[in-house]
Amino acid sequence: MRPNDAPLHRVTGFLSSMKLTLVCLALLMILVIACTLLQVPLGTHLAVERTIRSFLVWWTPDWSPVQIPIFPGGGLVGGVLLLNLLFAQFLKLERSRRKAGLWLAHLGLALLFVGEFATALLQVESQMPVQVGQTRDYSEDTRLMELAVVDATDPAKDVVTTIPQSRLRPGAVIETPSLPFKIAVKRWYENADLGMRKPNDPASEANAGIGAGLSVREADIVTSDDAQNSAAALIEPVEGGQSLGAYWVSNALGAPQGFAREGRTWRLTLRPRRYYLPFSVTLKEFKHDIYPGTDIPKNFSSLVRLNDPAAGEDRDALIYMNHPLRYGGKTFYQASFGQNDQLSVFQVVRNPGWLIPYLSCIMVGLGLLLHFGVKLSSSLKRIS
Amino acid sequence: MVRTPLPLILLAALAACQKDPIEVRVVPKEDASAAALAPSSRPRGVRWTAPAGWKEEAGNGMRVATLTPPQTAGKAEVTVIALPGDVGGELANVNRWRGQLALPPVGMADLPAARAAIKTKLGSLFVYDFTGTGASKTRLVAGMIQVSGTMWFFKLMGDEKAVAAAKPAFLKLLKGLKSDAA
Repeated sequence: MRPNDAPLHRVTGFLSSMKLTLVCLALLMILVIACTLLQVPLGTHLAVERTIRSFLVWWTPDWSPVQIPIFPGGGLVGGVLLLNLLFAQFLKLERSRRKAGLWLAHLGLALLFVGEFATALLQVESQMPVQVGQTRDYSEDTRLMELAVVDATDPAKDVVTTIPQSRLRPGAVIETPSLPFKIAVKRWYENADLGMRKPNDPASEANAGIGAGLSVREADIVTSDDAQNSAAALIEPVEGGQSLGAYWVSNALGAPQGFAREGRTWRLTLRPRRYYLPFSVTLKEFKHDIYPGTDIPKNFSSLVRLNDPAAGEDRDALIYMNHPLRYGGKTFYQASFGQNDQLSVFQVVRNPGWLIPYLSCIMVGLGLLLHFGVKLSSSLKRIS
Repeated sequence: MVRTPLPLILLAALAACQKDPIEVRVVPKEDASAAALAPSSRPRGVRWTAPAGWKEEAGNGMRVATLTPPQTAGKAEVTVIALPGDVGGELANVNRWRGQLALPPVGMADLPAARAAIKTKLGSLFVYDFTGTGASKTRLVAGMIQVSGTMWFFKLMGDEKAVAAAKPAFLKLLKGLKSDAA
């Protein structure tokens, strides 16, 4: 070995070492435990985001706004483990037919890591509540909001301009060709307490719409699985330098507010982010079966009509526990129900990499079968 | 904020490429699909039955519904409003109602004497009954109950005589409140 090769060898040796594998596995175990415990105060989604689907786990001390990295996150540990696996495989694993099974199993494991990264980056989850007899062509993400500015002038249709939450930052002025006015964002609260303004409260910052009679205060963000933030934004449409009114909009306020201008009717609403589908789903029937003589649920199922005129698809589909509907790159899971069994809620998941875990499991299974088959065969030969 | 490791920068770059765009879409009238909006936009948790002869209309904004009793004895209406959280608490809301009738605020110690409790399937609901001063008196009968983190307000307000005529049916409506969840 030449002396100047030594550092490279040290790096590759470290990256392919079993010690690194064990350290990474131990870190992953700690992360899993931490994630499980954090689900109590943070809720499932945020706990997973902050521990498993992050490169570093951050902590903000009470006495400082600076965030401090305190532990490697699942992304970093997983990435190192993937590198470790590949280095070990290509540098240490014998390239022979005898080891073909191990090669296949290791490649399957590597694919599993790639699949998890693909899921973390590309998966989009949303919900679709549908009442019996109702048709929907969009799902909603209740963790993200969007400001919908609707030109409701046409009696037959609405022209909806949707501005995502990421752009609703205080001080932002939103200008887009579909709107004849700009929208100035005065305030944005991810969660707010909304209440009727009391006699002694200061004047509302809104001077138009429902918000003029409301008091709106910023509140701590809620993250538990059964809670939803009441986001609020103070916005002001402005045309030619002239204010068209300051409005408090919030997903907690329900129905939209609006104004008329130059013969056009406009509506403003802050609502959960919508993902429109190129097809529609109609809930024909929802069944909530229980075991006879008890209130114990036995089965939840939704009979839906899937209609996609562009693809010539018009058929019934039954969605029940562990039997989702997969169509158009989306998977519809039976998630919840309500309103005296007249409402069914589907979780809609778009995950372009959903097949990867299945493929990797097949590869690992086949690889292990092959490897142990070869071992068994050689053992039997030795015995005979 | 000090968060600048390379992987996050790469992720941020990726996120920048996928920055949420402003979208424009032509959709059927929202009114035509009002039912479609209902499950997610209308607060859930409470169901009631309108008294016979009363007219019920879907609400607008934070008003969930408006119920109108027969207007034979004068004008009165019931509003149903749902807001998240405790909406300032009981005392603040009582004084807000009193403020609407130009009555002076009361203190916490005055609340037990001012309210009546009604038992519903959702729990106890406190009802307040205030009458304004002046020549043409306005009366207000209002109840509030918190269900699954949402405060529900039921308020009957109008001419004193009309409110008196509608109050028994209004109280029956309050007693019949129940959950709309499975």
